[in-house]
Amino acid sequence: MEQPRRITDSFPRRRRRGPGRPPGRLKDKKDKDKDKVQLKVRDCPRAPSQPPPDPALMEMLRRFDLSWEYGPCTGITRLQRWERAQELGLSPPGPIRDALLEHRDNP
Amino acid sequence: MFAEQAAPTAQGLLAPPSAEPPTFPRVAVSGYSDCSQPFQLGERSFARQYAHIYAVRLASMRPSLERRARSRWGNDIAVRRLSELQEGEECCVVGTLFKAMQLQPSILQEISEEHNLVPQPPLPKYIQPSDELMLEDELQRIKLEGAIDVQRLVTGTIVAVYGREQDDGRFLVKDHCFADLPPPLPWSGPSSDRFVLLASGLGLGSVSGEALLSTQLLVDVVTGQLGAEGEQSCAAHITRVILAGNLLSQNTQSRDTLNKAKYLTKKTQAASVEAVKMLDEILLQLCTSVPVDVMPGEFDPTNYTLPQQPLHRCMLPLASAYATLRLVTNPYQASLDGVRFLGTSGQNISDIFKYSSMDDYLEILEWTLLAGHISPTAPDTLGCYPFYKSDPFILTECPHVYFCGNAPHFQSKLLQGKEGQRVLLVTVPDFSATQTACLVNLRDLSCQPITFSSFGADSED
Repeated sequence: MEQPRRITDSFPRRRRRGPGRPPGRLKDKKDKDKDKVQLKVRDCPRAPSQPPPDPALMEMLRRFDLSWEYGPCTGITRLQRWERAQELGLSPPGPIRDALLEHRDNP
Repeated sequence: MFAEQAAPTAQGLLAPPSAEPPTFPRVAVSGYSDCSQPFQLGERSFARQYAHIYAVRLASMRPSLERRARSRWGNDIAVRRLSELQEGEECCVVGTLFKAMQLQPSILQEISEEHNLVPQPPLPKYIQPSDELMLEDELQRIKLEGAIDVQRLVTGTIVAVYGREQDDGRFLVKDHCFADLPPPLPWSGPSSDRFVLLASGLGLGSVSGEALLSTQLLVDVVTGQLGAEGEQSCAAHITRVILAGNLLSQNTQSRDTLNKAKYLTKKTQAASVEAVKMLDEILLQLCTSVPVDVMPGEFDPTNYTLPQQPLHRCMLPLASAYATLRLVTNPYQASLDGVRFLGTSGQNISDIFKYSSMDDYLEILEWTLLAGHISPTAPDTLGCYPFYKSDPFILTECPHVYFCGNAPHFQSKLLQGKEGQRVLLVTVPDFSATQTACLVNLRDLSCQPITFSSFGADSED
């Protein structure tokens, strides 16, 4: 299953200015906040300022989740599950750990 | 044995006081290390399910069970998973036991409206002849029958069964085995006589104050304020006191105030407040003289799930000023003078008692040691913290003294293992009912009871 594509990828949302608002801004700060809000709304599923995750990587992680040898996958992070499998001697694949550590902010 | 320690020049009580009263220094505390870190919970997240603890239990105990199975039934037996079973093939399977019991209290049945059932009153035992045993591994489960005692075993035990699958889908068991005694710890016990006093079930705060005199006698004996010089010199050999749970009595647990309206219960105090104050005073007397380890029990103000965390020291302001007071977890593991102690306050044993046909607390205690797990029924029928990384109740090393508190009687047994393990099994009786505590001699792992019975209202003479 590939990453679901949104229409906002091709047509980014622009906040409509209210009627009667002056074109110029009173403070620059407000402008920056508005931009940030736009970004957040668009990139909600992934962290801002990062490229979309590799679908092959997501597929590998999903397979790691569903493999029964390492125990249940719900309720703990993938890294915790990997560490637990390592301690029990089940030898989980190393590349998964590298990928998890690389994208530490995106479990 | 305890009385043999009397100093040779001791005089009886009916002698004039000597010019210089002799003093008996207590034997020095040496070699104490607390090994109960696995039972101390740091972060507590209850968002997890209990499947993790069962998965970890099976995965951790599988290698040792496979080793035991091979040594028992031959090196060339086939160890299979349930998904690889073939009909009629003799093989060995390692898995978790599950006992389907009809009388087991089920919360779903209680709240189900279509049954309209009154909640089941608590029974002493929930076993029935119609109970069935099932073996589960990571993926499947199968019904067991054959040479396996259904009534005796409980849910959550990891077992290796040897037999074959029949054509109706059940597994016919020819033989089964548990993890057996864990590997032994090296022995470095003391060379002279040193005693540890084990007591449990002080039951403070109960309606009847009969046990209070016995508790005060116990404190007086340990601190050396009772008896002539002979008894005092004996008491000087006691190096530690372990209170194994149920320091407060069940009466302090009354929940009537929860059901009443707020304006009726405004001025009432929880019954446990008075009881904890009494406990503080008793512990103060003990702590001034001997190191004390206090384990929480079923009726004590701490969490309900196992492992129970230590009582908070703000509840015992007078006694926590002393460094000799140690508030520890339940279950508790420590190394005293080179002798490894491991014990619980008895909730695990009494839970197995309810769901198994075994009647003797010492037998159940021995069985948990042979099964390699302190409390297999957690989390099924006994509350347990949802561990995910490791199961701290699995026995990895064989303790030298294994005790459980709040048993109905005092019993003790020295168990010898095949790999040179020597374990002293002690069931510490409930002090409020039996007024008996136990003295364990660390030098030769012997144990004797010490009773403080006082004259009750209904005793003759």
